[in-house]
This record gives sequence, structure tokens and C-alpha cells, in this order.
Amino acid sequence: MTRDDPSTTVGTAAGTTAECPYCGSENTVRDHPKGPGLCRSMHYCEDCQQPFEKFG
Amino acid sequence: MPVNAPTDSDACAYTDYPSGESPEEYPKTGDGATGVEADVWAALAEVEDPEMPVSVVDLGLVYGVEVDEETDHCVVELTLTYSGCPARDMLMNDVRCAAETADGVRDAEVCLRYSPQWTVDMVTERGRENLREFGLSV
Repeated sequence: MTRDDPSTTVGTAAGTTAECPYCGSENTVRDHPKGPGLCRSMHYCEDCQQPFEKFG
Repeated sequence: MPVNAPTDSDACAYTDYPSGESPEEYPKTGDGATGVEADVWAALAEVEDPEMPVSVVDLGLVYGVEVDEETDHCVVELTLTYSGCPARDMLMNDVRCAAETADGVRDAEVCLRYSPQWTVDMVTERGRENLREFGLSV
């Protein structure tokens, strides 16, 4: 089984929109594929201008 | 748009978390468990992920609890959010110690399971609320 390696791509991966945990907006971008934990990535909400994390 | 990740990086570890259907009986939360096994589930609900304020049960990491009534030996089936999780030993030890606090358990062991594959769909509704409050999108 092969899947896209998210750590080698930038921006929001195709078909996966991260929902901002603070304001619920889906107007978000993946800022960096690595978060503070290996199982998390960094995202940024364009609406409330907050960084947040997501699994994967 | 603040994008500063290298576009041609190939040095990163593989960390994909596909969403998708999880098998119907998952996540297992101990609903319907009775006796000593229910006590073990309650004890496991107190074990938090070392990085996030959410219990391993609400993360959907516990795949099963079985207590042998004759030997009072407890087996907990546990999975990890990914196979290379650096918190593996810590989590396994925390889970084993929690299971051994349950009345009626003499000793406990933790068996790792990677099938079915854990997905974020296995996070319970309470787990999702806790994670959102923590600032993590699920």
C-alpha cells in the first residue's frame, strides 16, 4: 500500500482540509509537515490567524 | 501565506494519518464490560497520552481488555497512533501499571496490536472535544 508522504509536500494535502479547532474555519493552510510531536503537523488558520496542530 | 517547509525534503519520517472508515466495533471504550474488566477500563481511562490531555481510551488506542478469572491475569491489547511512536515504552508501562491498580487484577501485560490500523476516526467524541480544546484539529 503506497500513500502520499505528507512530509515531502507543502500546503494542505489534497482532499484533506484541516478544520481550525478554535473558530471552525476551513480556510486553513498546512504550515509545516512536522509539529511538536512526530504524529502531528502544523497548520495556520487564515480567518482567526492562529496556528494549530493536526494529526498527520 | 506562511509556508516555509522545504519543497524537496526527503529526510522526514513517514507520518501519514489517513482518515477512513474504522471497523465498526472500534473504538472500544469498555461499554458493556462487567466486573473486573470494567474496573480495568475505568483505570485505563485515567491514563493520558504523554503529549496531549486526552486519555488513551478516548484516543481509541485500547483494542481489548481481558481478565482471566482463575489467575487474575489481565491482558490489555493496545495500539499506537503510529508504529514508531517514541512514547511506546512509556505508554505501555503506564497502561500496565493502571491495569494493575484495578481490584481483582494480580498482574497485567500489554500486547501491542497494529491491526486494524488506528485512524483518527477512532477518537471518541469526548476525545475530540478534549483535543480541540487543546488546539489540535481532528
